[in-house]
Amino acid sequence: MTTLTLIFALPLLAAVLLAFIPRNFAVVMRLVALVTTFITMLLAVKMFWNFDCAAADNDGYKFVATIPWLGSHALGIVCRLGVDGLNVGLVLMGAIVAFAAACCSAEIKSREKEFYILLLVMTGGILGAFASLDLFFFYFFHELALVPTFIMIGVWGRGEKRNFAAFQITLYLSIGALLTLVGLIDLYLQVPAEIRTFDIPSLTRFFVEHPMALASQSFIFPLLLFGFGVLVSLWPFHSWAPLGYGSAPTATAMLHAGVLKKFGLYGLLRVVIPFMPQSAQHWMPILAWLSLGNILYVGWVAMKQKNLNLLIGNSSVAHMGMIFLGIATLNLVGVTGAVVIMIAHGFLAALTFGLSGYIHSQTGTLEMSELGGLAKKMRFVGVAFVMAAMAGCGLPGFLNFVGEATVFFGAWARPGLRLVTVLAVWGALIVGAVYMLRAVRATLHGPLPEKWGRLPDAVLWRKLPYAVLLASLFLFGFAPKLLTDKIKPVTQQIVDMANAQEIATQAATVPSPVTGVSTNGTKPAPGGVKESGK
Amino acid sequence: MKLEALPWILLFLPLCAAGIITLFTLRSQKLSAGLSIGAIVSGFVLAIALIKSGGWEAREFSLNWLSIGNLNVDFGLRLDALSLMMLLIVTGVGSVIHIYSYGYMHEDEGFSRFFACLSLFTFSMLGIVLANNFLQLFIFWELVGVSSYLLIGFWFDKASAADASKKAFLTNRIGDFGFMLGILTVFAVVGSLNFAVIQEQFKANPALMGGSATLAGLLIFCGAMGKSAQFPLHVWLPDAMEGPTPVSALIHAATMVAAGVYMLCRVVFLFTPEALTVISWIGGFTALLAALIAVQQNDIKRILAYSTLSQLGYMVMAVGLGGAGAAMFHLTTHAFFKALLFLGAGSVIHAMHHEQDIWKMGALRKKMPVTFWTFLVGTLALCGVPPFSGFYSKDAILAQAWHAHNYPLFVIAVSVAVLTAFYMFRLFFVVWVGDVRSAEAGHAHESPGVMIWPLRALVVLALFGGVLGINEIFAAQFSAAEHAEASEHGLTLLQRIAEPFTNAPVAAGIGIIATLIGFLTARGLYATAKSDPLTSKLGWMSRAMANRFYFDEIYEATVIRIHDLAGTISNWIDSWIIEGLCIGVVRGGTDLTGRALRLVQTGNLQTYAFLFVLGVAVVLWLTLGK
Amino acid sequence: MNVGLEHYLVVSALLFALGLLGVITRRNLIVMYMSLELMLNSANLALVSFSRFNDNLNGQVMVFFIITVAAAEVAVGLALIVALYRKRQSAHVEDLTSMKL
Repeated sequence: MTTLTLIFALPLLAAVLLAFIPRNFAVVMRLVALVTTFITMLLAVKMFWNFDCAAADNDGYKFVATIPWLGSHALGIVCRLGVDGLNVGLVLMGAIVAFAAACCSAEIKSREKEFYILLLVMTGGILGAFASLDLFFFYFFHELALVPTFIMIGVWGRGEKRNFAAFQITLYLSIGALLTLVGLIDLYLQVPAEIRTFDIPSLTRFFVEHPMALASQSFIFPLLLFGFGVLVSLWPFHSWAPLGYGSAPTATAMLHAGVLKKFGLYGLLRVVIPFMPQSAQHWMPILAWLSLGNILYVGWVAMKQKNLNLLIGNSSVAHMGMIFLGIATLNLVGVTGAVVIMIAHGFLAALTFGLSGYIHSQTGTLEMSELGGLAKKMRFVGVAFVMAAMAGCGLPGFLNFVGEATVFFGAWARPGLRLVTVLAVWGALIVGAVYMLRAVRATLHGPLPEKWGRLPDAVLWRKLPYAVLLASLFLFGFAPKLLTDKIKPVTQQIVDMANAQEIATQAATVPSPVTGVSTNGTKPAPGGVKESGK
Repeated sequence: MKLEALPWILLFLPLCAAGIITLFTLRSQKLSAGLSIGAIVSGFVLAIALIKSGGWEAREFSLNWLSIGNLNVDFGLRLDALSLMMLLIVTGVGSVIHIYSYGYMHEDEGFSRFFACLSLFTFSMLGIVLANNFLQLFIFWELVGVSSYLLIGFWFDKASAADASKKAFLTNRIGDFGFMLGILTVFAVVGSLNFAVIQEQFKANPALMGGSATLAGLLIFCGAMGKSAQFPLHVWLPDAMEGPTPVSALIHAATMVAAGVYMLCRVVFLFTPEALTVISWIGGFTALLAALIAVQQNDIKRILAYSTLSQLGYMVMAVGLGGAGAAMFHLTTHAFFKALLFLGAGSVIHAMHHEQDIWKMGALRKKMPVTFWTFLVGTLALCGVPPFSGFYSKDAILAQAWHAHNYPLFVIAVSVAVLTAFYMFRLFFVVWVGDVRSAEAGHAHESPGVMIWPLRALVVLALFGGVLGINEIFAAQFSAAEHAEASEHGLTLLQRIAEPFTNAPVAAGIGIIATLIGFLTARGLYATAKSDPLTSKLGWMSRAMANRFYFDEIYEATVIRIHDLAGTISNWIDSWIIEGLCIGVVRGGTDLTGRALRLVQTGNLQTYAFLFVLGVAVVLWLTLGK
Repeated sequence: MNVGLEHYLVVSALLFALGLLGVITRRNLIVMYMSLELMLNSANLALVSFSRFNDNLNGQVMVFFIITVAAAEVAVGLALIVALYRKRQSAHVEDLTSMKL
């Protein structure tokens, strides 16, 4: 078994193992979950570390592994795993967040067995979805991770509205997943019957050589854009997210908001945009304006929240807007920035939900009117929360800033997006700061109500998940090249494919020898570099 | 050790100190303070070593930090006269204030946290000073903002402090919004973020930016407007006085608020004449506005805060008038005497058990002699009395306005000088002279040595800062061509002392007269006053001044309200239209269908069996029966 | 009288109908269960008779299988009913409505 196979299979195997442990051994369950996710995390770190020196296959994927007994050759389904610059960071982030989520699950006091099984299935599913090179398994693993979310919110959720929340999140995400499924199947049917395959690299090669018909593009693209969009809480399909996260148990919110949500964005980048460049060109300005709905509108909504978790949930939706904006630029700088925010937001969302979960487990409430002055009693949690809030409003030093600044530079390079960018900068710098500081002011600062006089700070081992997440944010925030140098080649390729048509027309009008760009998009073409920069 | 490593060490020492304090030594007060003070003092020593070894010449060290496509961001250090001088100020004044804090914060339970924040601030400020490109400047710009947020809100359990810190951060963020857009605009045209490269490009082609030049300049000025608290983003600075007094001295008087002016001087080549006009008028207006407000404040720190605002307005005005050198000169001397004044005020507040109302003080002259004398020197320097340092730098600005033939601004500057002398001597007479007005003032006693010695050190600088030749160093940086000869052999001490009178005698004379008028009015009104006589004399004017011309209320009614309204509307749509209507209909529909279908499901097994058999019978009949 | 295939099938059908009637109308779980067994055995009878009259032993082999599986099934089913009776003190279907809303 290669590292990558282990990374995604370990949690699933551990889940099976847990099924055989009697339910009285709650400590053992917890231990198994912790050890498994810890090993997974170490493996992911090792893979990330070795990424640069690992051998790549023809399509640029590394650590490629096939699980022969999974899948169906008749339908062209093969369980093939592999990473390139785009998903290696996501796998690393997912593994780290999964470990943090397992650490934060101490608050679960009933039905531990089922909880940890679901948690591990979710972890395995997420990592499998990101690592999968096969469109079918890409979707299948996502569903595998998605279903536990619904159950966890319904069973272990909190708050009066948890049933409604579970209902809403199920409804939205199922519809989103359904739209995506239809789109993906239609995409699959675009390939002639004798060479039909779900293999992403093969599909990529095919669509580079035989661009999809415009009619099918204009049908499949919106399906996938909005299908994936719903999964990522694109405005105006976002209202499941804040309430869902607000009602979810801590670990679920961390994993879903942090990692699983990135699936849709990953799909957009990996499949939708490169396969259907003309439609992408057509839809991206619209996506940019929709992203403002996330950044500004949801930002305003976040300002008005009275419950800490709803505020954080809304802020997480608002951050998605920055990623959408980055994708909508369709140039190297912007798309790379979007990928950086995807990773940064994973750490950040897990951190904020983890911290609010800790506050909830100690105080039993997250109504901000009842909290206040907690920094006096919870030193560590207070400091970590302030850092998280600062990362949330894009403070340099944290990875989020790198991503946001890069997205701004990318978006500004598109003259058509100037106005959107101005509003987005306002949303990120001002609105973001307003609600984040409001949260800090309402929960940590101010006089301490008497009833919280005996709150304990996090003990050492409970500090661990927060420390790990913060350290990741800091490390990449200080040295963003660790990430961007890996991401760049892949985003370059995506951007080249998306702009292939434009480059070709440019080449046609200007008699310069930039031929072969549209037919051989896998190599960064000189014209592409220029285009992406402007 | 290689010489290139020196600036890097200088920059990262305070960050290391902050990190170590936060992670390990929070429990040990002495160790934390030692680390923090050690870091900044060695920074000062290193800065001197840098100047000794390399002189004032411009040089750059850089590493690539981020490179995506054409977006190349270096993490670079730029050393030239401007940044080296600023390094000296930040580390020098900073060291003094760090040491003072050791005495001032001694009894506070957050002592170690305080020093950690202070070191973080020092790191960020050094980063601004040394930055060689726009994005790095922006990064440290934000970091300075956050450390200021942490320090203003140091006593975060006090609601007013927590609110003030929030306000400071958000107001700064509004400035940064403009700053970021400005950076984007410049980058879009020039394609580089490096100051030196941009300057080269501008030199080669002054019309590079075309029509967007003025806009870009003004957007970048927005950043300075936030950080240096220029109108209309000035509202945060007075509230920032909620922080501990050493913080007010270091951040909100000497260094951070000066960062805006520093940044303007750093990129002064970017500004078009139109942009410079706007900048100079905003500076002048801020100076006048703040001076007027200061006249009717009663909190000792707030008076100094408004005075800082007013002096920052002076500096910004000087930049706008084309006198970047004069602005930097004033920035330097202002750092000396304003830090001195704030530390003196801190000493008074310490002695008065955290009472800040000047009308509860009085006759402190005999109780706290050292603080009194140092405070007096600070006051004289601020008012621009020769031969104190403030006189020289203020005169440089007045002369700049005079030489630029911008008489309206010259008149404003002179009236600000009158007002400055007036409110400073008002403060002086009420606090130090007159009668004892409260029990605390009666029991006041001199502060300990660790707080007194920093005052003495700053007195020396406030006294002689004007004649050390600082202005020549800056002049060499900004107008290399004209002054090259003059600065080569330098002026003698005597020439320096007489320089204002040889350079622009009219401006110097008017400046001195203005100070004298202010002083005499203040003495007439306050030398023996029991309460403020002006309050009744000025009527509504006084109330407007005391209430800071209602700017906070105006913002409350406009900016904050608008966002609040947007928030309310969005929230309403979210919870009623999207969640209520759309989801509600889907949910209700599903629910109703479910209820209807449930009637068929009786739950009775035998009914099911019967229906099942019936079904089988029907199927059989259909297939076989015909 | 010559007993032919039809006679067996009629008996089998009668047994099946009786069993079905029992399952549908009776309210006692044990009786319902017995009726179910009756239906199963009517099917067995039909299989055996077909086997006999078609000269093919496959049907009888299948019946053996059915009998074995049915034995196991009876064991599980009766155990469930006994467990239920112990818990509820009743084996009447009307009393077992805890799944109903």
